[in-house]
Amino acid sequence: MSRLLFHRPRSLDEAVALAGRVGADARVLAGGTDLIVQMRRGHVAPRHLISLQDVPGLTGVAVNGQITLGAAVTHRAIERTAGFAGALRCLIEGAEVIGGHQVRNVATVGGNLVNASPAADLVVCLLALDGRVALLGQGGERELPVTEFLRGPNETARRPEELLTRVTLPALPARSATAFVKAGRRRAMEIAVVSVAARLTLDAAGTRCLGARIALGAVAPTAVRARAAERLLEGRPATPDVFADAAQAAREISEPIDDVRASAEFRRHLVGVLTRRALDRCATRARAVA
Amino acid sequence: MATIAVTLTVNGEPYDLSVEPDRSLLDALRIDLGLTGTKTNCLDAECGVCTVLIDGRAVNACLVLAAVAEGHAVTTIEGLANDGVLHPLQKAFIERGAVQCGYCIPGMILTAKAYLDEHPLPGEAEVREALAGNLCRCTGYQKIVDAVLDAAREMASTGAR
Repeated sequence: MSRLLFHRPRSLDEAVALAGRVGADARVLAGGTDLIVQMRRGHVAPRHLISLQDVPGLTGVAVNGQITLGAAVTHRAIERTAGFAGALRCLIEGAEVIGGHQVRNVATVGGNLVNASPAADLVVCLLALDGRVALLGQGGERELPVTEFLRGPNETARRPEELLTRVTLPALPARSATAFVKAGRRRAMEIAVVSVAARLTLDAAGTRCLGARIALGAVAPTAVRARAAERLLEGRPATPDVFADAAQAAREISEPIDDVRASAEFRRHLVGVLTRRALDRCATRARAVA
Repeated sequence: MATIAVTLTVNGEPYDLSVEPDRSLLDALRIDLGLTGTKTNCLDAECGVCTVLIDGRAVNACLVLAAVAEGHAVTTIEGLANDGVLHPLQKAFIERGAVQCGYCIPGMILTAKAYLDEHPLPGEAEVREALAGNLCRCTGYQKIVDAVLDAAREMASTGAR
């Protein structure tokens, strides 16, 4: 860190121009709760830091059918967005379980995406909500589904000269509900051992699944969708035995590892338990609204 | 390494510093400003002893760069008492016997203050959740929680912050 150059662009254009010039040897600093830790531990040693502290236009939360989150929206801001308390509740549930208040006050959704930990909590929710990220470079902007943005542990499709500026979520179909469930060794300050985010859309009677999304965290190189489980639910009754089938399908696509926090076997077991729990909650919530 | 000029506003006072770009706010406070009430420990946002308030919100000073804190109001434990009169949280921590070795206490008090400023009359479970980012190895937390609840009642009745 002894050669570090610190940049404080005052606009998005300035930030993009900087990324274009020095991006290959730069890191973008938002909340810093992952980046600064990695720098202190010597895991990354950028020559340049591009701080977003003075860049306007990245902290907006827009809820009008479609949902748009600026890259610098904090976990705290997501927790406090009243518009997420209903069908989009998994966003609040995903935001409120990371770190403690001190971390959530500064940690951003953009940072969570770009850091791309396989266990990242909000990322799992954004996957289940069909999120798309916008990447801005000097040549213009491109959009990618989160599924394509995540490439591997701490690896994304962002090019060094690009900035992630926002994540967009399509409007949820009517009679939808979401849930996020996280398992860990303690109730706070914990990296997920396994996490599951789900979205369920029911028919008018509230008895049949019209559509589903299931995303798993901490059981693969990136957060992943359990597409076989999703397909299995389509058109079938929203009942415990069907949810159990979906949970089994989710277990089968997971590829967890043994590590200090848990064994692969336990993680696979938890995928089944948490998928069922998330689906049950979605069904209860979707019916409560209708 | 080239240093940069950073002006920090701490407890209402401006301070002009010349620091390395990756200087943490924690080191700037403790080493450059001699404000050692904020403590240093894990340096990766796990323990909370380095908690300060930035614009009234609790943050881990170990992970905030001094350069990023420029332009914001930083409050440390030294800034809590008013003309020598202890803040209700400080009084409550003393009266409840919530202070043993003392190392976690500045962080605990500032986190609690930020929380109570937004949630004036929490229940015990909410206080415990609010302090999730602050570890204590001595007390077992009970007296800390009791002190925060006492202070909450005092602050609500007098309107103090």
